[in-house]
Amino acid sequence: MKETTKEQRTRARMMPGAITLSGFLGKDKRTLNAIISADEQELEKLGKTAEELADRMFYFTDASFSTYDGTITVDEYYIVETEVTRGKLPCPYAHGGIFRKAITKLTNTKNNTSVTWSFLNIHLIKDHHFFEGKGSTFRLEPAKLVETLY
Amino acid sequence: MIIVILKDIAFLSMISVSLAIIMVIAQKWLSNYGECKIDINGKREITVIGGNSLLSSLSDKQIFLPSACGGRGTCGACKCKVISGGGPLLPTEKPVLTAEEIAAGDIRLSCQVKVKSDIKIEIPSSIFNIRRYHAVITEIIDYTYDTKGITFKLDEGEKIDFLAGQYVQIDTLPYASVKQKVSRAYSISSKPEINDALQLIIRYVPEGICTTWVHQFLKVGDHVSLTGPYGDFFLRDTEADIIYVAGGSGKAPIKSMLEHLQVVGTNRKMTYFFGARTPKDLYLTDEMKALEKVFPDFKYEPVLSASVASDNWTGKTGFLMPYFAEAIRDPKNTEAYLCGSPGMISAVTKSLIEHGIPKDKIYYDSFG
Repeated sequence: MKETTKEQRTRARMMPGAITLSGFLGKDKRTLNAIISADEQELEKLGKTAEELADRMFYFTDASFSTYDGTITVDEYYIVETEVTRGKLPCPYAHGGIFRKAITKLTNTKNNTSVTWSFLNIHLIKDHHFFEGKGSTFRLEPAKLVETLY
Repeated sequence: MIIVILKDIAFLSMISVSLAIIMVIAQKWLSNYGECKIDINGKREITVIGGNSLLSSLSDKQIFLPSACGGRGTCGACKCKVISGGGPLLPTEKPVLTAEEIAAGDIRLSCQVKVKSDIKIEIPSSIFNIRRYHAVITEIIDYTYDTKGITFKLDEGEKIDFLAGQYVQIDTLPYASVKQKVSRAYSISSKPEINDALQLIIRYVPEGICTTWVHQFLKVGDHVSLTGPYGDFFLRDTEADIIYVAGGSGKAPIKSMLEHLQVVGTNRKMTYFFGARTPKDLYLTDEMKALEKVFPDFKYEPVLSASVASDNWTGKTGFLMPYFAEAIRDPKNTEAYLCGSPGMISAVTKSLIEHGIPKDKIYYDSFG
């Protein structure tokens, strides 16, 4: 399906150098709708919703955000490290949302998996069901995310 | 048949072109707001051509409100009070205004407010000290694996008047895939007494547009522009004892404060806690330690939170907070200056208040 003008503008804001250095799409040539639909289908197979995953991500980020050095062990098995740097990032969907530059690394010691996400990732997943394009620096594969979050 | 189709296409094309011309003319006529006056604090009036944002209209007249996002309405740094003439609050402003600011109704984002008529605003008088400067890079020092000190020599005749602790915004130049300039804020790490140059300490942020430019593309001899000084995080001129706390590039404003006090002299009791994770995150340690011999009552305390045995670290470890008690002799007569991540600021502030330091004497810059 052809992208609307609004989607084209959003895509432009996701390109390298607009909001972040490498952008949000990687080498993915699919439309935004196609990227989102494919990930939603995978989530369905995994038995999770984007909102559930985003809430779980926020749970970990929030737990470590206000700690002295951003590192904390949560619920016995999860090591959470959040690093906050100066400044904020806007959402590429341009609805006015801004997010602190914070990167969280979650390590699940039960299965030795780890994933890294930004504060903006949480919003993009929760409100736009957007896990970023394949090959993007902060692309989150739903299966890997579920494996690490639970 | 083909001729009929071609005629129809030509006819439709003519209509489209005509409509486009009418729209361009109408837009030019409708959006011609003429000259508008901006009344600033009831003391100064400037005349601008209407139609542009309040932020850019002011900057065209060399009045620089802070802005870290280049006028995209995302950072909220350019908030100012619009008394009249700003029109209704826009949906693009609401996400970065607090509930109180929205209720007050007169706090606006100057990058979103269009100047379409005479307008009356209030801004802090310190804004008039903010100017645009042009500079050349004269030195780049690698402090750690991810932190550099960059020295900017201002162009001939330009001088910057700032308070120790304040910051400037530097404008990037297009590079690699980055086609547009961005502005980013960094604390000044040099002393205010040197007013024809300044140093910034900039830590690399993965995926950061500005820090990637600084760390991978900026070189000695490059010409850049910056605006400033900004900020209300600055050293207060009192005789109170001081606790400094910094982490990472948060060392910059504290370095400026200490170098300034070195020039003007002080007998204040001062303790500087620098929090880092490992020894490789420490820098300027010898320089800070050397200040213990310069000031009559100064102690520099680097504290590592994630040091391991193989580091052979013999200094303080863990969090900073347990060490505050030995540094505070009269909490009511102690000021604290903090610069670091929100988590560190939050934990340290809580502890300082528990030690009896008044909340209004704790000044901080939490990497906002």
